[in-house]
Amino acid sequence: MMESVSETGAPSVTPAGGTAVAERPLEQVVPDVPWVTIVWDDPVNLMSYVAHVFSTYFHYPKAKSERLMMQVHNEGKAIVSSGSREAMERDVTAMHEYGLWATLDKAEE
Amino acid sequence: MKKFSRRRGVLTTALSAYEVELLTSLVRQVVELVSDGEPEGFAPPGEDADPFEALAKDLAVDPDDPEVPDDPVLRRMFPNAYPHDADASSDFRRFTERGLRTKKVADATVVLDDLAATDHGSSDLKVVPEHVDAWLRTLTGVRLAVATRLGITDAESADHLSQLDEQDPRSYMVSVYDWLGFAQETMVGAL
Repeated sequence: MMESVSETGAPSVTPAGGTAVAERPLEQVVPDVPWVTIVWDDPVNLMSYVAHVFSTYFHYPKAKSERLMMQVHNEGKAIVSSGSREAMERDVTAMHEYGLWATLDKAEE
Repeated sequence: MKKFSRRRGVLTTALSAYEVELLTSLVRQVVELVSDGEPEGFAPPGEDADPFEALAKDLAVDPDDPEVPDDPVLRRMFPNAYPHDADASSDFRRFTERGLRTKKVADATVVLDDLAATDHGSSDLKVVPEHVDAWLRTLTGVRLAVATRLGITDAESADHLSQLDEQDPRSYMVSVYDWLGFAQETMVGAL
Protein backbone atom coordinates (compact mmCIF):
# COMPACT_ATOMS: atom_id res chain seq x y z
CA MET A 1 0.00 0.00 0.00
CA MET A 2 1.18 3.49 -0.69
CA GLU A 3 2.01 5.63 2.25
CA SER A 4 -0.45 8.37 2.94
CA VAL A 5 0.30 11.59 4.74
CA SER A 6 -1.91 12.62 7.59
CA GLU A 7 -3.79 15.80 6.79
CA THR A 8 -3.65 16.94 10.38
CA GLY A 9 -0.22 15.56 11.13
CA ALA A 10 3.23 17.00 11.63
CA PRO A 11 4.21 20.25 9.94
CA SER A 12 5.81 19.73 6.57
CA VAL A 13 9.56 20.10 6.27
CA THR A 14 10.55 22.93 4.01
CA PRO A 15 13.80 22.41 2.11
CA ALA A 16 16.40 25.08 2.75
CA GLY A 17 16.99 25.68 -0.93
CA GLY A 18 16.51 24.47 -4.48
CA THR A 19 19.62 22.32 -4.58
CA ALA A 20 18.48 20.25 -1.62
CA VAL A 21 15.33 19.33 -3.50
CA ALA A 22 17.23 18.46 -6.66
CA GLU A 23 19.48 16.06 -4.80
CA ARG A 24 16.74 14.05 -3.17
CA PRO A 25 16.61 10.47 -4.43
CA LEU A 26 13.96 10.04 -7.06
CA GLU A 27 11.99 7.42 -5.14
CA GLN A 28 11.34 9.87 -2.32
CA VAL A 29 9.64 12.22 -4.73
CA VAL A 30 7.79 9.79 -6.97
CA PRO A 31 5.56 7.28 -5.16
CA ASP A 32 5.60 3.62 -6.14
CA VAL A 33 4.01 2.90 -9.46
CA PRO A 34 0.78 1.17 -8.46
CA TRP A 35 0.40 -2.49 -9.25
CA VAL A 36 -2.67 -4.68 -9.25
CA THR A 37 -3.52 -8.28 -8.40
CA ILE A 38 -5.74 -9.93 -11.00
CA VAL A 39 -7.74 -13.11 -10.36
CA TRP A 40 -8.73 -15.06 -13.48
CA ASP A 41 -11.74 -17.25 -14.05
CA ASP A 42 -11.19 -20.99 -14.04
CA PRO A 43 -13.65 -23.86 -14.49
CA VAL A 44 -12.77 -25.61 -11.22
CA ASN A 45 -13.02 -23.20 -8.32
CA LEU A 46 -16.47 -22.90 -6.79
CA MET A 47 -18.10 -19.48 -6.78
CA SER A 48 -18.83 -19.73 -3.05
CA TYR A 49 -15.20 -20.59 -2.36
CA VAL A 50 -13.81 -17.71 -4.44
CA ALA A 51 -16.01 -15.23 -2.53
CA HIS A 52 -14.93 -16.86 0.74
CA VAL A 53 -11.27 -16.37 -0.18
CA PHE A 54 -11.79 -12.65 -0.92
CA SER A 55 -13.59 -12.21 2.42
CA THR A 56 -11.07 -14.23 4.41
CA TYR A 57 -7.82 -12.95 2.94
CA PHE A 58 -8.66 -9.35 2.03
CA HIS A 59 -11.27 -8.91 4.80
CA TYR A 60 -13.64 -7.43 2.23
CA PRO A 61 -17.30 -7.11 3.22
CA LYS A 62 -19.45 -9.94 1.90
CA ALA A 63 -21.09 -7.76 -0.76
CA LYS A 64 -17.74 -6.64 -2.20
CA SER A 65 -16.35 -10.19 -2.19
CA GLU A 66 -19.41 -11.45 -4.06
CA ARG A 67 -19.29 -8.60 -6.56
CA LEU A 68 -15.62 -9.33 -7.33
CA MET A 69 -16.35 -13.06 -7.57
CA MET A 70 -19.18 -12.39 -10.04
CA GLN A 71 -16.88 -10.12 -12.05
CA VAL A 72 -14.32 -12.95 -12.28
CA HIS A 73 -17.08 -15.34 -13.30
CA ASN A 74 -18.77 -13.09 -15.88
CA GLU A 75 -15.88 -11.08 -17.30
CA GLY A 76 -13.12 -13.66 -16.95
CA LYS A 77 -11.03 -11.64 -14.52
CA ALA A 78 -11.15 -8.98 -11.85
CA ILE A 79 -8.71 -6.66 -10.14
CA VAL A 80 -8.95 -7.68 -6.50
CA SER A 81 -6.31 -5.43 -4.91
CA SER A 82 -3.83 -2.69 -5.74
CA GLY A 83 -0.72 -1.26 -4.16
CA SER A 84 3.04 -1.57 -4.26
CA ARG A 85 4.64 -4.32 -6.30
CA GLU A 86 5.84 -6.00 -3.12
CA ALA A 87 2.34 -6.01 -1.61
CA MET A 88 0.86 -7.38 -4.84
CA GLU A 89 3.42 -10.19 -4.90
CA ARG A 90 2.26 -11.08 -1.40
CA ASP A 91 -1.38 -11.07 -2.51
CA VAL A 92 -0.66 -13.17 -5.61
CA THR A 93 1.25 -15.67 -3.49
CA ALA A 94 -1.69 -15.91 -1.09
CA MET A 95 -4.12 -16.42 -3.99
CA HIS A 96 -1.89 -19.25 -5.27
CA GLU A 97 -1.97 -20.77 -1.78
CA TYR A 98 -5.75 -20.80 -2.05
CA GLY A 99 -5.55 -22.35 -5.51
CA LEU A 100 -6.87 -19.33 -7.37
CA TRP A 101 -5.26 -18.36 -10.66
CA ALA A 102 -3.78 -14.92 -9.99
CA THR A 103 -1.25 -12.66 -11.68
CA LEU A 104 0.09 -9.18 -11.07
CA ASP A 105 0.48 -6.32 -13.47
CA LYS A 106 1.10 -2.59 -13.54
CA ALA A 107 -2.05 -0.60 -12.98
CA GLU A 108 -3.36 0.96 -16.16
CA GLU A 109 -3.03 4.71 -16.28
CA MET B 1 -21.31 -38.30 2.98
CA LYS B 2 -23.86 -35.86 4.22
CA LYS B 3 -23.27 -32.16 3.92
CA PHE B 4 -21.18 -30.46 6.59
CA SER B 5 -23.09 -28.93 9.46
CA ARG B 6 -21.78 -26.60 12.13
CA ARG B 7 -22.05 -27.56 15.76
CA ARG B 8 -20.64 -25.09 18.25
CA GLY B 9 -18.33 -23.71 15.58
CA VAL B 10 -17.00 -27.12 14.57
CA LEU B 11 -17.79 -28.33 11.05
CA THR B 12 -19.00 -31.89 11.25
CA THR B 13 -19.96 -34.64 8.85
CA ALA B 14 -19.93 -38.43 8.70
CA LEU B 15 -17.72 -40.18 6.17
CA SER B 16 -17.75 -43.87 5.30
CA ALA B 17 -14.55 -45.89 5.67
CA TYR B 18 -14.29 -45.87 1.89
CA GLU B 19 -14.63 -42.08 1.68
CA VAL B 20 -11.94 -41.59 4.34
CA GLU B 21 -9.64 -43.93 2.43
CA LEU B 22 -10.36 -42.24 -0.88
CA LEU B 23 -9.76 -38.72 0.37
CA THR B 24 -6.65 -39.75 2.29
CA SER B 25 -5.25 -41.32 -0.85
CA LEU B 26 -6.03 -38.29 -3.02
CA VAL B 27 -4.48 -35.87 -0.52
CA ARG B 28 -1.36 -38.04 -0.28
CA GLN B 29 -1.07 -38.01 -4.06
CA VAL B 30 -1.15 -34.23 -4.08
CA VAL B 31 1.49 -34.15 -1.33
CA GLU B 32 3.69 -36.42 -3.45
CA LEU B 33 3.13 -34.32 -6.53
CA VAL B 34 3.89 -31.08 -4.72
CA SER B 35 6.96 -32.62 -3.07
CA ASP B 36 8.17 -34.15 -6.32
CA GLY B 37 9.94 -32.19 -9.01
CA GLU B 38 11.88 -30.51 -6.26
CA PRO B 39 15.66 -30.58 -6.21
CA GLU B 40 17.13 -33.87 -4.95
CA GLY B 41 16.79 -34.30 -1.21
CA PHE B 42 13.06 -33.76 -1.16
CA ALA B 43 11.83 -37.34 -1.13
CA PRO B 44 8.12 -37.83 -1.64
CA PRO B 45 6.69 -38.96 1.69
CA GLY B 46 5.66 -42.59 1.70
CA GLU B 47 2.84 -44.19 3.63
CA ASP B 48 4.35 -43.57 7.03
CA ALA B 49 6.80 -40.80 6.28
CA ASP B 50 6.47 -37.62 8.23
CA PRO B 51 5.86 -34.77 5.76
CA PHE B 52 7.73 -32.42 8.05
CA GLU B 53 10.85 -34.55 7.76
CA ALA B 54 10.65 -34.16 4.04
CA LEU B 55 10.20 -30.44 4.48
CA ALA B 56 13.23 -30.16 6.70
CA LYS B 57 15.27 -31.86 3.99
CA ASP B 58 13.80 -29.58 1.39
CA LEU B 59 14.75 -26.49 3.30
CA ALA B 60 18.33 -27.68 3.47
CA VAL B 61 18.59 -27.78 -0.31
CA ASP B 62 20.11 -24.76 -2.01
CA PRO B 63 17.48 -22.89 -3.94
CA ASP B 64 18.24 -22.94 -7.63
CA ASP B 65 16.38 -21.55 -10.59
CA PRO B 66 12.93 -23.06 -10.48
CA GLU B 67 11.50 -23.50 -13.93
CA VAL B 68 7.98 -23.72 -15.17
CA PRO B 69 6.90 -27.24 -14.16
CA ASP B 70 6.31 -29.87 -16.85
CA ASP B 71 3.32 -31.35 -15.05
CA PRO B 72 0.11 -29.53 -16.01
CA VAL B 73 -1.24 -29.92 -12.46
CA LEU B 74 1.81 -28.16 -11.05
CA ARG B 75 1.60 -25.51 -13.75
CA ARG B 76 -1.94 -24.80 -12.57
CA MET B 77 -0.95 -24.80 -8.89
CA PHE B 78 2.07 -22.56 -9.48
CA PRO B 79 1.08 -20.33 -12.38
CA ASN B 80 3.29 -17.62 -13.84
CA ALA B 81 2.78 -14.51 -11.75
CA TYR B 82 3.87 -12.19 -14.57
CA PRO B 83 2.23 -13.46 -17.76
CA HIS B 84 4.13 -10.94 -19.93
CA ASP B 85 7.51 -11.13 -18.23
CA ALA B 86 9.32 -14.48 -18.11
CA ASP B 87 12.25 -13.10 -16.10
CA ALA B 88 10.05 -11.60 -13.42
CA SER B 89 8.00 -14.82 -13.30
CA SER B 90 11.17 -16.82 -12.80
CA ASP B 91 12.30 -14.50 -9.99
CA PHE B 92 8.88 -14.78 -8.40
CA ARG B 93 9.12 -18.58 -8.51
CA ARG B 94 12.54 -18.51 -6.95
CA PHE B 95 11.28 -16.50 -4.01
CA THR B 96 7.83 -18.02 -3.50
CA GLU B 97 7.50 -21.54 -4.88
CA ARG B 98 9.35 -23.30 -2.09
CA GLY B 99 7.19 -21.56 0.49
CA LEU B 100 4.04 -22.39 -1.47
CA ARG B 101 4.95 -26.06 -1.66
CA THR B 102 5.72 -26.08 2.06
CA LYS B 103 2.38 -24.44 2.79
CA LYS B 104 0.46 -26.96 0.68
CA VAL B 105 2.12 -29.87 2.47
CA ALA B 106 1.40 -28.31 5.88
CA ASP B 107 -2.26 -27.80 4.90
CA ALA B 108 -2.49 -31.40 3.67
CA THR B 109 -1.03 -32.65 6.95
CA VAL B 110 -3.86 -30.94 8.87
CA VAL B 111 -6.41 -32.70 6.64
CA LEU B 112 -4.72 -36.09 6.91
CA ASP B 113 -4.62 -35.81 10.72
CA ASP B 114 -8.32 -34.89 10.90
CA LEU B 115 -9.17 -37.80 8.60
CA ALA B 116 -7.08 -40.18 10.70
CA ALA B 117 -8.96 -39.00 13.82
CA THR B 118 -12.19 -40.46 12.40
CA ASP B 119 -10.69 -43.94 12.80
CA HIS B 120 -11.71 -45.07 9.30
CA GLY B 121 -14.97 -43.20 9.48
CA SER B 122 -16.22 -44.85 12.68
CA SER B 123 -16.51 -41.44 14.32
CA ASP B 124 -17.60 -38.13 12.81
CA LEU B 125 -15.17 -35.95 10.92
CA LYS B 126 -14.71 -32.77 12.95
CA VAL B 127 -13.02 -29.71 11.49
CA VAL B 128 -12.30 -26.98 14.04
CA PRO B 129 -12.33 -23.34 12.84
CA GLU B 130 -8.52 -23.10 12.81
CA HIS B 131 -8.40 -26.03 10.35
CA VAL B 132 -11.07 -24.81 7.95
CA ASP B 133 -8.83 -22.87 5.56
CA ALA B 134 -6.30 -25.71 5.43
CA TRP B 135 -9.18 -28.00 4.47
CA LEU B 136 -10.56 -25.64 1.84
CA ARG B 137 -7.14 -25.05 0.30
CA THR B 138 -6.38 -28.77 0.27
CA LEU B 139 -9.75 -29.70 -1.25
CA THR B 140 -9.05 -27.06 -3.90
CA GLY B 141 -5.65 -28.58 -4.63
CA VAL B 142 -7.13 -32.05 -4.97
CA ARG B 143 -9.95 -30.76 -7.18
CA LEU B 144 -7.47 -28.88 -9.40
CA ALA B 145 -5.40 -32.05 -9.74
CA VAL B 146 -8.37 -34.26 -10.60
CA ALA B 147 -9.81 -31.66 -12.98
CA THR B 148 -6.52 -31.26 -14.81
CA ARG B 149 -6.17 -35.04 -15.23
CA LEU B 150 -9.73 -35.14 -16.55
CA GLY B 151 -8.91 -32.40 -19.05
CA ILE B 152 -11.26 -29.82 -17.57
CA THR B 153 -9.93 -26.61 -19.04
CA ASP B 154 -13.06 -24.55 -19.55
CA ALA B 155 -16.80 -24.57 -19.04
CA GLU B 156 -17.38 -26.64 -22.19
CA SER B 157 -15.05 -29.48 -21.21
CA ALA B 158 -16.56 -29.50 -17.70
CA ASP B 159 -20.02 -29.69 -19.23
CA HIS B 160 -19.00 -32.47 -21.59
CA LEU B 161 -17.69 -34.62 -18.72
CA SER B 162 -20.89 -34.25 -16.75
CA GLN B 163 -22.72 -36.04 -19.57
CA LEU B 164 -20.42 -39.05 -19.90
CA ASP B 165 -21.75 -42.51 -20.47
CA GLU B 166 -21.52 -44.76 -17.41
CA GLN B 167 -19.30 -47.12 -19.39
CA ASP B 168 -16.75 -44.40 -19.99
CA PRO B 169 -13.55 -45.15 -18.05
CA ARG B 170 -13.47 -41.53 -16.87
CA SER B 171 -16.89 -41.68 -15.25
CA TYR B 172 -15.50 -42.91 -11.93
CA MET B 173 -13.08 -39.98 -11.65
CA VAL B 174 -15.89 -37.63 -12.62
CA SER B 175 -17.97 -38.97 -9.73
CA VAL B 176 -14.99 -38.43 -7.41
CA TYR B 177 -14.64 -34.89 -8.73
CA ASP B 178 -18.33 -34.22 -8.07
CA TRP B 179 -18.02 -35.68 -4.57
CA LEU B 180 -15.07 -33.38 -3.80
CA GLY B 181 -17.08 -30.42 -5.06
CA PHE B 182 -19.98 -31.39 -2.82
CA ALA B 183 -17.67 -31.66 0.19
CA GLN B 184 -16.14 -28.25 -0.48
CA GLU B 185 -19.41 -26.51 -1.32
CA THR B 186 -21.14 -27.71 1.84
CA MET B 187 -18.09 -26.85 3.92
CA VAL B 188 -18.17 -23.24 2.68
CA GLY B 189 -21.95 -23.24 3.10
CA ALA B 190 -21.70 -24.30 6.74
CA LEU B 191 -19.32 -21.49 7.68
